[in-house]
Amino acid sequence: MIRYWLEKTWVQNAILISLAAFAIYYCGWVFDFGYEFKWSMLFTRNETYGVVMGAEILKGLANTVRISLISSVLALFLGTVLGLARLSLFRPLRATATSIIEFFRNTPLLIQLFFWYFAFPAILPENVRDVLFSGQFEFWCATMGLSIYTASFMAEVIRAGLQSIPKGLLEAAYSSGLSYFQVLRTIILPLAFRAIIPPLGSEFLNNMKNSSLAMVVGVAELTWQAQQVESLTFKGFEATSAATVLYLSLSLIISFILNGVNGRMRLDTTPARSVPVLVVGALLAPFGLIRRMFVRPVTRALRARRRAAAQTTYTPLAAMLHQLGGHAARAAILAGKGLFLAVLAGLFYSVGKGLLGFKWQVVFDNLRALLIWHFPNGRPDEMFLGLGGLSYSLLMAVIAISVSFFIGLAVGVGRSCSNRVFRIPCLLYIELIRGNPLIIVIFWVYFFIPVMFGTTLNVFWSATWALTAFTGAYIAEIVRTGIQNVPAGQVEAAYSTGLTYLQAMRRIVLPQALKQMIPAIVGQFIAIFKDTSLAFVLGVLELTFVAQGINNRLMIHPMEIYGTVAFFYFICCYSMSVFAARLERRLSPEKVSLRM
Amino acid sequence: MRLVKLLALATALTALMASVAVAGPVFDRIQKDKKIRVGIMTDSIPGAFYNEKGEWGGFDYDMATEVAKRMGVEIERVQVNNKTRIALVQSGQIDLSVSNMTHTRERDKSVDFSLTYFFDGQKILAKKGQFKSVKDMVGKKIATMQGTTSEVNVRRALKEAGDPNAEANVISFQKESECFQALQNGRVAGWSTDASILVGYAAKTPGQFELVGDFLSDEPYGMAMPQDDSALRDAVNAAIQDMWKDGTYKKIYNKWYGPGTPFEMPLAGQIEIWP
Repeated sequence: MIRYWLEKTWVQNAILISLAAFAIYYCGWVFDFGYEFKWSMLFTRNETYGVVMGAEILKGLANTVRISLISSVLALFLGTVLGLARLSLFRPLRATATSIIEFFRNTPLLIQLFFWYFAFPAILPENVRDVLFSGQFEFWCATMGLSIYTASFMAEVIRAGLQSIPKGLLEAAYSSGLSYFQVLRTIILPLAFRAIIPPLGSEFLNNMKNSSLAMVVGVAELTWQAQQVESLTFKGFEATSAATVLYLSLSLIISFILNGVNGRMRLDTTPARSVPVLVVGALLAPFGLIRRMFVRPVTRALRARRRAAAQTTYTPLAAMLHQLGGHAARAAILAGKGLFLAVLAGLFYSVGKGLLGFKWQVVFDNLRALLIWHFPNGRPDEMFLGLGGLSYSLLMAVIAISVSFFIGLAVGVGRSCSNRVFRIPCLLYIELIRGNPLIIVIFWVYFFIPVMFGTTLNVFWSATWALTAFTGAYIAEIVRTGIQNVPAGQVEAAYSTGLTYLQAMRRIVLPQALKQMIPAIVGQFIAIFKDTSLAFVLGVLELTFVAQGINNRLMIHPMEIYGTVAFFYFICCYSMSVFAARLERRLSPEKVSLRM
Repeated sequence: MRLVKLLALATALTALMASVAVAGPVFDRIQKDKKIRVGIMTDSIPGAFYNEKGEWGGFDYDMATEVAKRMGVEIERVQVNNKTRIALVQSGQIDLSVSNMTHTRERDKSVDFSLTYFFDGQKILAKKGQFKSVKDMVGKKIATMQGTTSEVNVRRALKEAGDPNAEANVISFQKESECFQALQNGRVAGWSTDASILVGYAAKTPGQFELVGDFLSDEPYGMAMPQDDSALRDAVNAAIQDMWKDGTYKKIYNKWYGPGTPFEMPLAGQIEIWP
């Protein structure tokens, strides 16, 4: 009976609308938040400080957009270079690229930013430092740090794209006489980028959200400004809401553009005339016009000249020159390799010398605190017998991933179901969480959940629940893709044997989908473990916070302490990612790996 | 049928949550539970910090413990920082915030304050022998901590000293240690906050840094409490006054700021005593 009615779209819509109306009525008129809302403070001039708070937040938005745009472009470039280097036949280059990628992927961005800002200038010569400090050092430090971090993720995506190009295509290109750079420009990159636009797009989104971390080095971006407004007026709810709305709109705009780009670039289907595609087309039209008006005639003229030159006879002199040119190019490549090795050796030498010069005694003295804080001799006001440091971070990550697995499973199944009553709330949850940086989610959980539910929540649990809610949305997306990857015919067969939606999911789809999802979930676990470092803003005793406390007390050994912390994060994340890669190889059919 | 049951359960749960949300006056609850939740900082030396052994302590820590003792209730210490110390009082997650917080009128709109229990003033810390007064710092970068009164004050002071670019020259970090690191690696020429904090950090690297010029402002510290709970305010104020009268305050003060400590600072004021 209920099922019959629930299958009708208008019933589903009616249920959703009445639920929304109830929620609005309940929050607006019945529920007592114990908090005085003052939305007008965003638009009116504050007398104490003489500024309009909303305008300050918009200034932050401008900075966020600036950082995101610049770092996206830089990251795309760097990521392409690293991705190509990762496939190079020259072993030292490949090894260097691999270690750069693995290092930056497997340490938290927060620690990297601390390093770039606080420790890196100390090892530069005085005059270089003065030049750096004369400009907007905060801004560029954050932007560069962010682009290197994003680039290391993009590099892996791009490498996968490059490897997906069929070998025969390359062989055909090389045998038709194209040089490496010609093949790269006309065959490899266009095809590879078409294949990887969706994963690359999510890296752009992550990049925008990660820009919120620029606040730790004092850049006045959106999160920073929201915090600033909160600390000036104590109207945190309003300020954070404004930031959330702005982040969401930014995310939506980026997704919209990426959809458009994806639709335009797709070769397999006829170009769909969807709204994003049309808008992106309109945006790109001026560039196309410029190209047609100015670039094309030039290339045409050049081509004509080349053809004319090719028709003249090939003299022995020209042949000799050509040969000499070939030798010169080979010599240059060899010299470049030599130079690269020399630079690498120099780098190793100076890093080694630096490492030996450090006072490692400091680290050994504090090793226990970094690993377990003072477990098991904690004071009564400490949780888990005084656990802290690395083990605390791990504990948070384990709790978050275990709980969020079930949230993700439920939401992911709900998201893929055709009934709107389930699909739309799940969709809202996923998009709301994924459209915001983790740090904003942490603030919401920490400050506002207790207000809503009238309970108190200590920092550990609020950070852990924030991580859980955040990861839940990502796992839901993993689940959804897993479900989509199961052939549709199986689902139809299941339905026709009389199974219900839930039965089909439980018996047919999920067992297969879950197996495929395992590597992605391990990947998510790595991400969440790195993200525990963000809990430091609340003062949770995890690794980053403990390290900061120790550094705060000693003051003079930041390199040693942050180096050790980075090492800890790296070891944990890297071993997990090796595990994930092995799982992936075991669970997926053999792939031919291809070198270029 | 299962769906109907589920819906009923959800409605019941929301109704339950609504009933939990209403809380009584804070003082009555403290007396009933015999427990007060106090927010204390963890990274402010010597206000409240973790020492070499990882033990929590400091001037604010001792003050909070003593106030709770005199109120005859057990203390539950909650870690707060410059971002959370007011929001947590507002949302009722802590009953008292003893977290080297200046009593300002703007803050008084959101929370209530006790008597001034510590007298501080804002100064600027800079490399030794480079600057004489705030005038010399015009055009230089200065570090502050986000969400503090020092941030607002130092901008104003720079503007008054004739810095046209005061907004951009003040860089706000999240933690005191970050400000000090920025000062050490030369990114900023000065770091401005309450003198008691600066003295603590300057003592880490003796002879390198000094305080510049006069006080930029007075920073009277108060303990923050939820708005409109006069019984709680009276109890806290009485505890502070009693501590001053029987000499406990001086003892705690001398333990952290007295002669011979690394953070030596003369006691700059007197706590108001009501007969």
